Amino acid sequence: MTSFVELLLSGITSGLIIGLAGLSVTLVFGIARFSNAATGDTMTLGAYGALMGTSLTGSLLAGGLIGLAAGALSAILAYVLVFRPLQNRSPISSLLASIGVAFFIRAVLGVVFGHDQMVFQMDLVRPFRLHGVRIQPNDLKFAGVAILTLALVFVVLHLTPIGRRMRAVADNPLLARVSGIAPRPVMFTLWAIAGAVAAVAGILLGMKTVVSPESGWDMLLPAFAAAVLGGIGHPVGAVLAGVIIGVAQELATPFVGFTYKIAISFLVLLLVLLVRPRGLFGKIEGVR
Amino acid sequence: MLVIENLVGGYGETDILTGIDLTVAPGEILTVAGTNGAGKSTLAKAVVGLLPRMSGRILLNEQDITRVPVEQRALSGIGYVPQVANVFGSLTITENLEVVEGVKNPRQRIAELFELFPAIAERRRGRASSLSGGERQQLAFARALMTRPGVIVLDEPTAALSPIMADESFRRIGELARTGTAVLLIEQRARQALAISHRGAIMDAGKVALSGPAQSLLADERAAQLYLGVAHAG
Ligand SMILES: Nc1ncnc2c1ncn2[C@@H]1O[C@H](COP(=O)(O)OP(=O)(O)OP(=O)(O)O)[C@@H](O)[C@H]1O
Ligand SMILES: [Mg+2]
Repeated sequence: MTSFVELLLSGITSGLIIGLAGLSVTLVFGIARFSNAATGDTMTLGAYGALMGTSLTGSLLAGGLIGLAAGALSAILAYVLVFRPLQNRSPISSLLASIGVAFFIRAVLGVVFGHDQMVFQMDLVRPFRLHGVRIQPNDLKFAGVAILTLALVFVVLHLTPIGRRMRAVADNPLLARVSGIAPRPVMFTLWAIAGAVAAVAGILLGMKTVVSPESGWDMLLPAFAAAVLGGIGHPVGAVLAGVIIGVAQELATPFVGFTYKIAISFLVLLLVLLVRPRGLFGKIEGVR
Repeated sequence: MLVIENLVGGYGETDILTGIDLTVAPGEILTVAGTNGAGKSTLAKAVVGLLPRMSGRILLNEQDITRVPVEQRALSGIGYVPQVANVFGSLTITENLEVVEGVKNPRQRIAELFELFPAIAERRRGRASSLSGGERQQLAFARALMTRPGVIVLDEPTAALSPIMADESFRRIGELARTGTAVLLIEQRARQALAISHRGAIMDAGKVALSGPAQSLLADERAAQLYLGVAHAG
């Protein structure tokens, strides 16, 4: 029973990280209208940015913010150089281009940092016990940072004028333009947020595990699964779905082993697409 | 004042509009009627800047806006209620109004519009997707009025409405024109629309087939037979 609770807690933390990545995917899908395969590698870039930043400044917090900025900047750059020129083409062109962006980021990271795993220098904190359940203080911190990030994104989306504009564009882009909403500031904000959120996910993943050029790419499937399970384009759904997937993966580990837990995401993705393609929270309306 | 000169254009290769000249003066209602597929909505899209390809000229208060992008046209005073998908379903009623750009004193304007449309005011915190067809149409109208536009383009605003609500809608449109707004009114209920209009134009296959003062169109046997349907009492 206690080990079940421990797996559950660990799953929630991993799930929040997946949820962040899924949120990034779903925001881009909702507003820029394609599945961004570079999300995973933006995570990795953020993690390396944070590693560099930490060793430069000696502070995890400052390093984390540098990583976050790196993620946001790279996403904006990818938008300006690649996705904006393609925006009037089919979503498939953008998806394919995003796979290219993903490979590019990974290749550059591999060349610059090599393929050895790197770790964040974190204080070793002993787990404490609560009613016999072993709790990793760092897991709590990671979950806290993830929740804070999510809260910030939802505050921006729901309580600020630019967030309102973003939701309007996601809802009905033509009506948004007719209402005087210029697409450009909305798109720049979208990419900054999507990049920053992915970076936070990558940094937390790196702190929880290790950082390698492939670590983010491996997260793409869970991230897509969360976005689809949550009802594509539905931010809250992506986060909740991420948590569900994270918990499912963790609880499945004793049975399928560590290497295959990623298959859970694939299973979830397949099941949702077959049984309930609009996800848990998606609207019944068809694709526009 | 809206002036449309020799408007030709369409979505792809083929021209849907094949040469349209129309004028709507301030305070005037121009009804545009015509069969399904005549190009009425396409004309509306050209005016607001949503038609992918067009030639000719569109003037707003003597200014050539033919090359002005959609959102800029909205800011310079063209309001538009599309035929379909004319509210942001996932936003609240209030947000649907708040999100409109270029409004001086938005709080006050929203309060004014809620006074004008009490039915949606009651539901202001609800999502627009939860509104009935009639309420939705009112919200779409209110959203288009946020900027106090000098010209408003209404694409079949009464299509989904009951006869009583349609009457109500026509009454509002009449009032709006009396405040000096130029109204381009696309309508299937052509007789009713012409009854509150100053002038009318009947489109056919991307052209204006017939135009003139609303009263004489209503009296015109040929127009009546071809385009307005059989006259009925009430
Ligand atoms: N987005 C589009 N892409 C390509 N063709 C279109 C598009 N919208 C309309 N058309 C075509 O343009 C023509 C005119 O359509 P339009 O919607 O302007 O007609 P309408 O007069 O508004 O008809 P209705 O009374 O049914 O609303 C039709 O042949 C239609 O098929
Ligand atoms: Mg139409």
